[in-house]
Amino acid sequence: MSLQTWQKNALRILAFLLVLLMLVMAAGHYLMPQSNRYLEGYTAGGILGEDFDTIDVLVLGDSNAAQGIAPMKWYDEHGITGYTYAAGWLSMYNIYYRIKQIYEEQSPKVVVLCTAPAYTKKSSETYMQSALGDIADELLPLLRFHDNWKYLTPQNLFTEKDYSWRDINKGYAPITDVAARPNTDYMYDTGASESIPLLVQFYMQRILQLCDEHGSEVLLVTVPAAVGWNLARHNGIAAFAEENGVPYLDFNMAEYNPGIDWMTDSSDGGTHLNWLGAQKVTEALGTYLLQNYALEDHRGQPGYDTWDSDAQSYRDQLPEIKERVSQNAGIV
Amino acid sequence: MHTLDEIMKILAEVKPGIEAEPDTELVRTGILDSVDIMSVVMALAEEFDLEISPLDLKEENFHTPNAILDLVNRLDD
Amino acid sequence: MAYNSFPYLCIFLPLCWVAWAVLPQRYRPAALLGGSLVFYWLTAGTYTVWLLLAAALTWALGLGLGRLQQLQEAALPGLDKPARKEAKHQFAALQRGMVTAGVIGLLGLLIWLKYLPFLVRTLNSALSLLPFAWQVAAPSFVQPLGLSFFTLMALSYLFDVRRGTTQPAEHYWQVLLYLSFWPHVVEGPFDRWAQISPALLNPPKPNYRAFTFGVQRILWGMMKKLIIADRANMYVKAVFDNWPSYSGSAVVVATLLYTLQLYAEFSGCMDMVLGAAECFGVPLAENFRQPFFASSVSEFWRRWHITLGAWLREYLFQPVIVSKPMMRFGKWCRTRFGAALGRSLPVWAGLLLTWLAIGLWHGAGWLYVVYGLYYFLLQWLGEVAEPTLLRLCPSLPRWRTRRWYKLWQALRTFVLVNFGMLLFRSNGTRAALEMLASLRRPYEGSLLIKLDAQDLWVLVIGALVLLAVDLLHERGIAIRESIARRPLPLRWAIYCGGMLAVMIFGAYGDNYDPAAFIYAQF
Repeated sequence: MSLQTWQKNALRILAFLLVLLMLVMAAGHYLMPQSNRYLEGYTAGGILGEDFDTIDVLVLGDSNAAQGIAPMKWYDEHGITGYTYAAGWLSMYNIYYRIKQIYEEQSPKVVVLCTAPAYTKKSSETYMQSALGDIADELLPLLRFHDNWKYLTPQNLFTEKDYSWRDINKGYAPITDVAARPNTDYMYDTGASESIPLLVQFYMQRILQLCDEHGSEVLLVTVPAAVGWNLARHNGIAAFAEENGVPYLDFNMAEYNPGIDWMTDSSDGGTHLNWLGAQKVTEALGTYLLQNYALEDHRGQPGYDTWDSDAQSYRDQLPEIKERVSQNAGIV
Repeated sequence: MHTLDEIMKILAEVKPGIEAEPDTELVRTGILDSVDIMSVVMALAEEFDLEISPLDLKEENFHTPNAILDLVNRLDD
Repeated sequence: MAYNSFPYLCIFLPLCWVAWAVLPQRYRPAALLGGSLVFYWLTAGTYTVWLLLAAALTWALGLGLGRLQQLQEAALPGLDKPARKEAKHQFAALQRGMVTAGVIGLLGLLIWLKYLPFLVRTLNSALSLLPFAWQVAAPSFVQPLGLSFFTLMALSYLFDVRRGTTQPAEHYWQVLLYLSFWPHVVEGPFDRWAQISPALLNPPKPNYRAFTFGVQRILWGMMKKLIIADRANMYVKAVFDNWPSYSGSAVVVATLLYTLQLYAEFSGCMDMVLGAAECFGVPLAENFRQPFFASSVSEFWRRWHITLGAWLREYLFQPVIVSKPMMRFGKWCRTRFGAALGRSLPVWAGLLLTWLAIGLWHGAGWLYVVYGLYYFLLQWLGEVAEPTLLRLCPSLPRWRTRRWYKLWQALRTFVLVNFGMLLFRSNGTRAALEMLASLRRPYEGSLLIKLDAQDLWVLVIGALVLLAVDLLHERGIAIRESIARRPLPLRWAIYCGGMLAVMIFGAYGDNYDPAAFIYAQF
């Protein structure tokens, strides 16, 4: 069968695009970091180093969560295996694709979804630009890691990538800085409700669906944040939670406040928590999890040896962290 | 009618030291740039009492001394 | 939609092209007009109304002028000589009235929306010198997209119709398409109606070669913008936005990088724009012709932003100089200062006006006035010094043909242009002066400002590649044709290489801040 000229040309263009796509995927593969430690901000990439199917509670969020929720505390005190997969500027689009990847290796019983990513956006981009950019980054790893050409050595082309690095803090970043903020009310009623952008909502629903398919229960949580959170945003999330039948725990509200003192518990004047604040939030969230979900105590169980040894390393570093942050906060 | 000599005299006034034959390419060789052309135009308008419109200021009218002569003769009608 | 964004390149352009290619010949212009209006609306929203109004005024006046010219042609032959002269004057006066209406309307709109705050500020500064405290409130408006571009294009259309070199368009939508055509509405080039209307209104058939060449040109523009311009911007922004902290070599490097950035970005944008238009068979005007090979600043401005210089030369400089008032001024100068000055003073006055216009077109502020004045002074000094130089150095004309002398001229022009760039980029006249003064203070810190050594290497290599391509272009070598003649694997390797280079070495992502198109704020 003979083709018309325009059909031949169209085929040629298609063939070219396929070749290009293959090269782009190959280049993306080679530019990805050698170790999972650098796959994501903070220590989120460490999740790939955990033994398969050991994590029961998966916390997802942005830098608020990374500095606010410390899963190793749960393991040390109650044997609950948790991981905080969180990095700066992570959006709901990013989180959706990340959970998909995480489900290939883990089957958490509870997924704790922090709500800050629903509202944060870079001021230099529009919502559409952020969405398209994040989704493109997910589909084409080359776009995410393209800057790694600076660190590429010829060896990289021949050595296998090593994704076995583990974080003893399970995704949490202990910060010992203290920058005080007066304990003024930031959750006062302005009568407004900030609704979640449509595309973000759509992706949040996709996340809920994905968790449902994998048999995980979802819990929405807001980490205390004096700067960046308010009642309007709470109302927006509460509406979403109600519509979709998901429990919502907002630690900024008076009835759930775990006793945050903004004079000592924040590392940067109200946007992020430090170690002191994280302890309070983790404790409160841990209690809630134990009360509402059937979670096993895995301490000493076979198959959890890496968790036990990591717990020991965690305990070893605690005194120093505690001392440093107490000094900075002026607490004896 | 005007003569080539008059044109050459004006060219010499505007650009002292200019070496041009009646058919030397003036514009593309850079002997006359756009500012020079305007100076020539001013001189022609002054000397021959001509009314020059912007439309006449096309490059082709100033390519060679002969072209300038043609332009002047045309405008003098 | 930015010209280098996903939505534009992967959604808008392909959709427009398919619509344009698939529609029957009669409706192809509709695809172009529809695409242009959608593009404009997405960026400008309700401000689209200014564009629609400007197009309406232009179309109406164009038709009016055409009508007058028709009447003139019909009426004149039937009259005798004295009546003919009288009629000619009347027709001329009517046409002049129409053109004046157009100038007031279009230029007035531009001045009102863009220059009013500047004029008011200047007025207030002058008023503050007076004993009584009287200030005028400065309103500020959002300028519709491409205001500075479509206004001048509309004026060029009217002027061309007036001169009789162009037939006016019959339908409103034709003028609207000309002004709103999305490739040139944001950053130019200034296209003439006569140059592009045939292709806009009577499009050629979809052509594989034109399409692929257009896409290749877009790719080249992307490479320049993402790899070179956005990268250099990190350094430039850090130094120029925080100039008190820098001096000496840091300022020198930042200025050189700004020149590189502006060239890569603006010419890259032109590549993207001309490439896109090429896909549709529309030949937009070139705006760059290897500017850094120029031997003088005036030649530089005939090779950089070519269409702006051409517009000002044809519609401002030349008409002003041959205008009656200027001719009278010339006569007056002749009687006072002699024949030579009698010729030169009007030309210099015209030059000054043109340079001030170039400066002010770039921005509404005193810095831009200084910018224009800087280049005027350079050109004027060149003109004035010429006879003296020839006397001091009689072999100068011979030297000027030699290659080594041309190299010296190019380097000298480069240095002068860079001083101009420092003025242009700085944060105001005072900042400019402070930065110039700081050049003498040595800089103690590291020159790796916001960029690491590898980034600087990319910039150096990028600059060398630009230079190589410019050299080939100066020799008249058409690179796309040359590549197209090679065997398929090599061609595809080059094109894939280009795309991969943009994706890998592009300065985007969390480590880099995006740079909005610089010329789009005009």
